[in-house]
Amino acid sequence: MRQNNMLAMILAGGRGTRLHALTKKVAKPAVFYGGKYRIVDFPLSNCANSGIEVVGVLTQYESVLLNSYVAAGQRWGLDAKNSGVYVLPPREKEDANLDVYRGTADAISQNIDFVDTFDPEYVLILSGDHIYKMDYSKMLSHHKACGADATIAVIEVPMKEASRFGIMNTDETDRIIEFEEKPEHPKSNLASMGIYIFDWKLLRKMLLADMVNPDSNHDFGKDIIPAMLKEDRRLYAWKFKGYWKDVGTIDSLWEANMDLLDKNNELDLSDPSWKIYTEDVTSTPHYIGENGVVNRAFITQGCVIDGEVKNSVLFTHAKVGKGAKVYDSVLMPDAEVGDGAVLHRVIVADGVKIGKGAVVGSADSEHIELISKRVKGVE
Amino acid sequence: MCNAFGIVNFAGSNIHVEGMQDHRPIGAFSFLGRYRTIDFPISNMSNSGINHIEVFVKRNPRSLTEHLGTGRHYNINSKRGKLHILYTDDKLQSDLYNHDVSAFMYNMECIEKVPYPYVIIAPSYMVYSMDYSKLLEKHLESGADITILYQNVDTAKDEFMNCNVLNLNKQKGVLSIERNRGTAKNRNISLDTYVMSKELFMELVKKAAKFSSMYTLRDIIDDECSELDIRGIAHHGYVAAISDFKSYYDANMRLIDYETAQDLFAPDWPIYTRTNDSSPTQYYETSNVKKSVVSNGCEIEGTIENSVIGRGCIIKKGAVVKNCVILPGATIGEDVHVENAVVDKQAKIVRVKEVVAKVEEPAYVGRGDIL
Repeated sequence: MRQNNMLAMILAGGRGTRLHALTKKVAKPAVFYGGKYRIVDFPLSNCANSGIEVVGVLTQYESVLLNSYVAAGQRWGLDAKNSGVYVLPPREKEDANLDVYRGTADAISQNIDFVDTFDPEYVLILSGDHIYKMDYSKMLSHHKACGADATIAVIEVPMKEASRFGIMNTDETDRIIEFEEKPEHPKSNLASMGIYIFDWKLLRKMLLADMVNPDSNHDFGKDIIPAMLKEDRRLYAWKFKGYWKDVGTIDSLWEANMDLLDKNNELDLSDPSWKIYTEDVTSTPHYIGENGVVNRAFITQGCVIDGEVKNSVLFTHAKVGKGAKVYDSVLMPDAEVGDGAVLHRVIVADGVKIGKGAVVGSADSEHIELISKRVKGVE
Repeated sequence: MCNAFGIVNFAGSNIHVEGMQDHRPIGAFSFLGRYRTIDFPISNMSNSGINHIEVFVKRNPRSLTEHLGTGRHYNINSKRGKLHILYTDDKLQSDLYNHDVSAFMYNMECIEKVPYPYVIIAPSYMVYSMDYSKLLEKHLESGADITILYQNVDTAKDEFMNCNVLNLNKQKGVLSIERNRGTAKNRNISLDTYVMSKELFMELVKKAAKFSSMYTLRDIIDDECSELDIRGIAHHGYVAAISDFKSYYDANMRLIDYETAQDLFAPDWPIYTRTNDSSPTQYYETSNVKKSVVSNGCEIEGTIENSVIGRGCIIKKGAVVKNCVILPGATIGEDVHVENAVVDKQAKIVRVKEVVAKVEEPAYVGRGDIL
């Protein structure tokens, strides 16, 4: 806290319903991405790399795995004295019954006591669902320079897609004059990234009022930001340039993985100055056998490959049998492709086995197929 | 839990690896891309339930101490356990006096304080998997004073040169310890791994120091063969002794075979190492990789065949890497052909287009060199 007087709160309760079987037993932030990571590694590593020392992670939906995963703060270097990752699922309190978080803002409201113990000047609100690299300290500098009450990170999106986002309309000084949630006729293409810096004293006051407002959805985008604008508070947009992806669907999760195959891709996971940290898995380097053919692929430790892998991302301990073909696909941890099996445009969920000679997916499918159950082999 | 503590000993002066050892002790040698050789004895101890491990470091301690850190990554209990790095006496008159016995004497106070009655001593220059709790069990069952782990090999004429050899009787009693001079094919190679009581260990160390200021642990145990009940227990499976440059190369190359590697890396016997947080490896359109072991964080555009590639290596377009051990952070430039070579850390082969050696005499490209 001494470094920047800012505490981060990561909203990690998302169900990610459109990821189907991948989020059946884990919340969306725990979904695997990029060969060795989970999505939540990105905001956590960003916090660590930005010099933020205290991070609260608000969990709710299927939180068992996520709670233990993020609690091991040493993975991201968030375990020094006065530093730590705090897991914050809903809890029973003296003056209230055990309740679920009713919305993004309510999740913070129910943890006002937690934030107060650190007495921060600023609070950074993040989503645990997004893949990006961002230096939050730069955003904080901007916040201070503008003398803002709140700063919202925005990214320019193609105008024709703007109606899918929360759009910020700003003046020439980047001050936000209007916020429109999924506007039919957008006036700007600055989409909110769901990343906010607030002055804690002000946010605290707004949250207390929001908690008892019967008409509120207790949501940052729907309630808190509009309320602040109504009060004529100083809200500023901070423009982010770089890779940013909210992987809501199987198709977009696949796409985000495929993005990594491009040389000089924007996310650049190999940049030593901004590493993304994750669980340290014990396994050998990956093995490529005599019959292995590997082109345009992102492959991590523990994989064993004796077939053809093209345009694909392979996670820890994925196995590709002799003569198997894995094209335009994602194999999650411990996925196994039997000898001679052929895969096109699929995501194979973790631990799922594809039998010998099976043919899965197709090269000209419109959507990516998620394989979450064992596929029998053919003789 | 294991009723013993561990000592990881450094290699004696009989062992020297040309080139590489000038930069770091053998324990700190990069091994199979992502490991260092010392990961093996420490993981063996940790997996065997040994929670107190003393690592002795002779010289060039920087890379080793950095790698070992607090020992957290070796799964050593951070409160009840300990990974203790101990240094040799730096006031010795000559390097000849700088051997294991003098290091044990110098740190005798630490050894005395250890609250375990038995000790397992393993060398940092050997690579194998072994459950030491079972070894201790067998040692106790037999009632022997000292148990030495060995491996029977039929390649002693060409391999394990200068390593220790156990001269065994039919009952596996150790008659003497000799050096392998390559005079016979079949030998019982000592894995320099000893089990005994802490009491006896301290007694022998003191005795050796008193007897000769150049006596090593192996020397005093050899002397005691006629007095004490010293027995050998055979190890089976993958063993490598990094005793010279060629053996380092061969030890890596042998593990390219997945079946052989399964023998060293059993699923229930994890070998731990320090994470580098590197991203997965990126293969581009032009990559052509066969029969190889590749670590994370690499960028590969060229051809790799029958090689071990360390973390964070760059293999450029048109490059051909064949029968090589490439250490972490090395770069093989465009259209460069490297064959039968060990390329040390951070080396860059970019200006010369060909580094080809004979398979019997692999080439060594020095640490950080730019060719």
